[in-house]
Amino acid sequence: MTEITPEELGIADFAVREHRSLWGDAWQRLISSKTARIGMAIVALFVLTAVLAHFFWDYNPKTDLNYSLKLKPPNLIPTEEVPSIHPFGTDKLGRDIFTRVIHGGWNSLRVGLVAVSISLIIGGILGLLSGFYESIAVTPLERAFLLGLIGLMLGFLPAWIAAQPVQIFLFAALGAFGGIFDKLLAGRPGRYLIFGGLGLLIGGGLALLVAPYVALVCGILGLMIGFILALQLGGRAFSTIVMRGMDIILAFPGYLLAIAIVAFLGPGLEKGMIAIGIVGIPIYARIVRSSVLSVTQKEYILAAQSIGESHGRIIFRNVFPNILSPIIVQSTMGLAGAILSAAALGFLGLGAIPPTPEWGAMLGDSYRFLTSGAWWAVFFPGIAIMLSVLGFNLLGDGLRDALDPKMRT
Amino acid sequence: MTKYIFRRFVAVIPTIIGITFVIFMFQRLIPGDPAVAMLGEHAAKENVERIREQLGLNRPAFLDREALKQGDIAGFFDSQYINYLGRLLRVDLGTSIHRRIPVAETLAIRFPATVELAVVAMVIAIVVGLPAGIASAARRNSLLDGTTMVGSLIGVSMPIFWLGLMEIMIFAVFLKWLPAGGRLSVGMGLELKTNFVLIDSLITGNIPAFLDAVQHLILPSIALATIPMAIIARMTRSSMLDVLQEDYIRTAHAKGLMERFVLFRHALKNAFLPIITIIGLQAGTLLAGAVLTETIFAWPGIGRWIYDSILARDYPIVQGGTLLIALMFVFINLLIDISYAYLDPRIHYD
Repeated sequence: MTEITPEELGIADFAVREHRSLWGDAWQRLISSKTARIGMAIVALFVLTAVLAHFFWDYNPKTDLNYSLKLKPPNLIPTEEVPSIHPFGTDKLGRDIFTRVIHGGWNSLRVGLVAVSISLIIGGILGLLSGFYESIAVTPLERAFLLGLIGLMLGFLPAWIAAQPVQIFLFAALGAFGGIFDKLLAGRPGRYLIFGGLGLLIGGGLALLVAPYVALVCGILGLMIGFILALQLGGRAFSTIVMRGMDIILAFPGYLLAIAIVAFLGPGLEKGMIAIGIVGIPIYARIVRSSVLSVTQKEYILAAQSIGESHGRIIFRNVFPNILSPIIVQSTMGLAGAILSAAALGFLGLGAIPPTPEWGAMLGDSYRFLTSGAWWAVFFPGIAIMLSVLGFNLLGDGLRDALDPKMRT
Repeated sequence: MTKYIFRRFVAVIPTIIGITFVIFMFQRLIPGDPAVAMLGEHAAKENVERIREQLGLNRPAFLDREALKQGDIAGFFDSQYINYLGRLLRVDLGTSIHRRIPVAETLAIRFPATVELAVVAMVIAIVVGLPAGIASAARRNSLLDGTTMVGSLIGVSMPIFWLGLMEIMIFAVFLKWLPAGGRLSVGMGLELKTNFVLIDSLITGNIPAFLDAVQHLILPSIALATIPMAIIARMTRSSMLDVLQEDYIRTAHAKGLMERFVLFRHALKNAFLPIITIIGLQAGTLLAGAVLTETIFAWPGIGRWIYDSILARDYPIVQGGTLLIALMFVFINLLIDISYAYLDPRIHYD
């Protein structure tokens, strides 16, 4: 049989599509959307000016001070009274607001980036593991590890009460034992008897050396831990524990928790980053978990499992690449939210410490002068916050449309 | 159904215990001794000790293992955290460090102010956001749709404290139309009963005070409503668009039903669940956003009270206020969960 080529068939312009990868396709969709292009332009503008200013435009906030130019309105032409040019005016210490807005961008964007990284890394790992093990059965080794970990955490309480650290390890060993002998007397009272008895022995027996009442309390605790470890817990238990923890963080509305954390840690740019990062963890954990849950239902995961690939390999090779799009979208939107939260903290005087330039702190510094008509000291830093947040939101919207065409409405 | 509601209530308990634990940990993490903070740096040692004993600060944080060693079971549970939980059950949130008054009392006075502002803001957000979302879904890709979507994108990107400042600048400083802050002008002679100014002024028939309170509410409630309004509009639009693609909508159109009827009877009813969810979640944003809005507008609510207390390092108030807001948030989420059961008969609860 001879091969038939398009030329022989007389088709001149055979529709051979130029090969593009999935990411290439997404990129094409992204740059063909107007909102995404506007978003990219705004983001690029802010990132470029902030980075260039930080490295090539020396500015020392500590020495920047000129009382003779206090609260001057914006001017583009030097006059006798104001010999220098201040496109955005000056603030209460006579500092050029334009300079500080540009340099403030470095701090504001940095807070956003670090905060999102904290939430993404911690929340992403927690969400990935809980989603994966919720839908895919754990191996005996993983079960031993998981139950060992649970035994370790639970064992901490009796060990602390009896002041005997060795109990922690014994409870961890009991958990690991339960994980390995998962099928031992499964579902029968005997299993509870064995594990409860061992727990009672570990908790109460060792604590007898301390005092009788300590032995009583630790014995009861050990019995309960033994029962829990006898429950043949699997991946679902891990997921439940993690997600309950996330629910507690989510129970604090928005940045109230961030404000509370910074209130107790003390103000500062770094502490603001940590606070905003912690607050964001559950959002990423939830999104990653739900994406993983849907990915693990796919046939290619079943295929990978059936050819005997290890769980680690499945997570990295099959699951991770397929949950990247929601992560990218959420991180972009999350950056917008983190910049807003950072500005809010700065505004309340809980973020950057003066005289460090930061948009929110600049607003908090000058809003008292609003009643005397100095609108420029408030207007320009605020516009910078709004535009940069808008840029990331537009880009996030565009990315969602580009990366997940099915989501498009 | 009753069983489902009961189960939801029980499921909330671990979350509430977790919240109290987190808030209690904050107190432990603060550098410095609350007793010293109360008495000042130069207080006599024995006075500090006495205050520490009065506040129960001489007890261990969680459990007293030394007492247990002595065979004292009651002493074992006599710890700061368990005593804290016990006090919470008796609605005792401690005493303000600087003002020496019970925290629960001060919160009870300020809470209505926050609720009043949040409720008015929520009403504005729903009244504007919901129709805007429905209209832009119905007239997809029209000028109206474009305007709503751009507007809502700007809305979600808006730092509300800045928006509040701009409102003050335009309407209070330059135009002098509305007051820049506060809840009521001085000398209104309003007798406070419920601490809800709008309700109190109506009950007592004090119409000038009512109008004055409304004037004071306009700027802060618009600032606070902006983000929820934008989010509600976006959610309503996308939820409606989803439903409008369904077959039964086409059927309804084919039957020749009026567009209005299709939109409100067929589409909105089915699009409502995600909208209700997002409205409930925004309640949390409102309560947290109140910290910023109240600070700017000198609104005597819980948010500003928390902020002032952070600056004054009056931690019992910060703890009590944070706890109250978090509990409110949990309670609202619970109500939403329960409302699902009524709104969507397709969901089974067993």
